[in-house]
Order: sequence, then structure tokens, then C-alpha cells
Amino acid sequence: MDETKIRVEHLTKKFGDLLVLDDISFSVKKGEFVCVVGPTGCGKTTFLNLLTRIYQPTQGELYIDGTPADPKIHNISFAFQEPSAMPWLNVEQNLQFGMKIKKIPEDERKRRVERILKLLGLEEFRKSYPRELSVSAEQRVIIGRAFSTYPDLLLMDEPYGQMDIKMRFYLEDEVLKLWKEFGSTVIFITHNIEEATYLAERVLILTNKPATIKENLEINLPHPRDVTSPEFIEIRRHITDAIKWW
Amino acid sequence: MSSGVKIENQVENGKDTSARKQGYKFVYTIGPYISLIVLFIVWIIASGKNVKTFPTPWIVIQKIASLLVNPLSGATLIGHMLVSMRRVFVALFFAIVIGVPFGILVGWNRAFRATLGALFECIRPIPVLAWIPLIIMWFGIGENAKIIMIFIGSVMPIVVNSYTGIKLVASLYLDVGKMFNASTQGQLLKNIVLPAALPTIFAGIRNATSVAWMVVLASEMLAAKSGLGFLINRGMEVFDISLVMAGMIAIAVAGAFLSWIISFIERKVCPWNRGIMSE
Repeated sequence: MDETKIRVEHLTKKFGDLLVLDDISFSVKKGEFVCVVGPTGCGKTTFLNLLTRIYQPTQGELYIDGTPADPKIHNISFAFQEPSAMPWLNVEQNLQFGMKIKKIPEDERKRRVERILKLLGLEEFRKSYPRELSVSAEQRVIIGRAFSTYPDLLLMDEPYGQMDIKMRFYLEDEVLKLWKEFGSTVIFITHNIEEATYLAERVLILTNKPATIKENLEINLPHPRDVTSPEFIEIRRHITDAIKWW
Repeated sequence: MSSGVKIENQVENGKDTSARKQGYKFVYTIGPYISLIVLFIVWIIASGKNVKTFPTPWIVIQKIASLLVNPLSGATLIGHMLVSMRRVFVALFFAIVIGVPFGILVGWNRAFRATLGALFECIRPIPVLAWIPLIIMWFGIGENAKIIMIFIGSVMPIVVNSYTGIKLVASLYLDVGKMFNASTQGQLLKNIVLPAALPTIFAGIRNATSVAWMVVLASEMLAAKSGLGFLINRGMEVFDISLVMAGMIAIAVAGAFLSWIISFIERKVCPWNRGIMSE
């Protein structure tokens, strides 16, 4: 039986009279890759900010391993949409950044950095500073940094939002590689339906504001997925139809 | 046929572009030397009329050579240069030690900004020259008075840039820190705010060095028995224009040397900024 890692119960968020999220409940299994899709402006970012505890919910609660989520207790990691590698740190130091703050011993830090550098093919750039890297290489560093702390929950907010389609596919494979290697539990927010279909084991489809979960869709296709296969195209079409509000 | 013409044109244009680039490169390389030669030619022509009011380059070079071996007021040219630089270094040291932490506190702490920050903003617009009478009346015309003058001039840009550097730190980096649970002010300051602000702080130190160099010369021209400002002043008193010009050249050399030292330290302290510094 699969172990539940994350449990969200009756999550509701109001800003004044504006109801943004309305009674959202779902759970995520340990090591599961879940994508959240929804129409533009449906409250995806609010949803994410509640999960990171930047916002407090109006009602409901988020549990990690059965206890209310608390960044001081749980190891929550986040990959931002914007390039967020520290400009003053080289690739190695950027990958170590989170681990240093969390006071992970130096030997372990070095071991993990080597593993990530190898997995992401960044070995030759280990001493380069972010401004010397391409956008995709910098984004790989950010993804690697997010995985480096072996998070209980890794939240990704459209990390490939600014990339072209070729680069997206390349980096999506990279994130899958890290996810499989590290066994992290991932919630990946995107507005790109193809991306969600390509990555997720399960897709949460949100409705328009006030957002509720319209559908909780399991995708049982093996990775790596063939984007031209009839099954892939059918799932993508199904999600597109579910998101349509017009 | 038409495509053949097109290709020929492209090749021709390609050659043209390449030749033009080479030409520019050559101009950029020899440009500085040409300007120096032109300066010397203009100088020689201008000084031909009356060498007493406008000495030739040769006379000035002879003067510099003489000052390098024969002391004037107890020191050679190098000695005077070192005296001026010592004053600058001592004042800059205190300006950095006091100005950087002060600027960081003003930028980081709201209570500090509201109190001492506001006070600093009131004092900052007063030019250093306006302080001179007060400093002379309080501290006389000795070494301390000069160092205080240079300190006042150089601490201002250091505080302003330290403060600005802290304020300009992108909130995204702070979010990254908080996401990794860097919750205390000390952790955020040490891991994110200070390194992010360092290039701006260094730009302030660079600016302060120029100001310090200007103020040391002004203070030495007012009242001193040593230093490059004193040399220029002495030249003016005895109507020795070659001495004035020798002093000016020494000032340019020492100023360039100071600037190089600051750039060297900056490259070591902010290696990630290297490309930007040279652009």
C-alpha cells in the first residue's frame, strides 16, 4: 500500500470578499509527481503560496507526514519560474546553498553536489558563475539546487515558463531524471497541458476562480513518454477539454 | 545567374565587413598612443612661445627627474607621493570601517534608517569644502585635520552605496533564502544581502577613492609642508610652472595607481563581477 506524504484538507483562501480557492482536498503519495493545471488566473499561484506557507489559509490545512506543514519542521523546497541562481556563487556553491543553510555536513554536501552535477551534465561548468551560463544551464542549476536538500515536498512554479519548446522537453527530461534518482515528492504547477501530460503521474485540473478541483486524473503511461502516441494525444485532449471554460 | 550575383555580393560584403572590423581593431589599438603623441605635439607647439609660462615637455621631464633624486622640503617626488597616499589610505580605511557597516544598518534596519539615516541625509548634501573652516578651527592644520577632511569626503559615497546596495537586493533572492529556511536576520544578511550588495558597495569605495584623492590635494594646497598638493602650491608661490606640471603628472600617476589597487581588490572580492567590471 502506498504511503500518503501530503494531505490537503478543505483548503480555502479568501482575500477580503474574494474567494480564490474553494474547499480543495487531495493527497499525494510519497515519491509521486503531481502536476496542477488550470485556466489563467484561476489561483494556481495562490495555491502554491499556501503550500509554501507564504500565505495562511482562510480554512483548511496542509499536512506533511500527518503533521501540519511547517517550513521549520519539514523540508520544503521550491523551484522558481524566474532565474534565481545566486549571481555571486558559482555552480557548485549554488548547488550547496540550501544544504549549507540547512547545516548538512560538508562531506555529504560534496557528495550530493557531485551526484547532481553528473546527473545534469554540469560538471564542466562547476566553477562558472550564473552570468556565464546559458538560461537553460542556469535553470538546471536551480532545479538541482531544489532537489539537493532531499525535500519532503518539492514545489515547482512553471520553472520552464520562459523556455522554448525544444528546451522545455530537454529540461523536462532532466527533472524526471532527478525525480527518479532522488525519489522526491513533486507538485509541479504549469499552464502547459503538454508539459503536464509529459511529466505527471497524476494531474489536478483546477476550475476557474474560485478554484476547486475539477478532475483528479491519473496518467498511467511509462516514462519517457512518446508525445506522438495516440494515448498521449488523447490524454492531452481530455485535459484541454476539461480546462475549457468557454 | 541572379543567385550567382547574390553570392558574389555576399562574399564581397563579407570581405568588406571583415576588413572594416580589422581597421577598427587597429584604430582601437593605436588610438591611445596617437592621442598621447598629438598631446605632446600640441604641447610642444604651445610651449614654443614662452617656456617660462608654458614649459616644454622636455623641461617638465627634467624637473620630474630632478625631483626624483633631489629632495624638496625634505622629500623627493616619491616621498611627497607617499605622504599624500598615506593620508588617503588612512582616511579611506576609517571611511570603509565606519561607512560600510553604517550604510548596511541604514539599509537593513528600519529603526536605524528613521533615526541615524535621516540625520545622515541632512549632513550629506554639505560639500566637504564647506567643512574645511570648521575643521581647521577645531583641529588646526596638522595631519589629523587633513585626514578628517578626506574622511568626511570619502565616507559619504561609501554610506550611500552601501545603503543603496542593500535596498537593491532582489526580493527573489530573499525568497530563495527563506524557502531554504534562512529565517533569522543574521542568516539572510550573511548568506544573501551582503554578497548581493557587495558590487554596489565596491562601486562606492571606488567613487570614495576619487573623492579622497581630490580632497587630499585640496587640503595639502591649503596648508601643508609635504604631499603632492604642497608641491603644486610651492610651484605656484615661486612661479615655477614646471614644478606645478610635474606635480600634476605625479597626481595622475598616483591616482591611476590607486584606481588600479581598488580594481585589483574588487576583482579578488567580487570575482563573479569580473566581466561586468571590464565592460
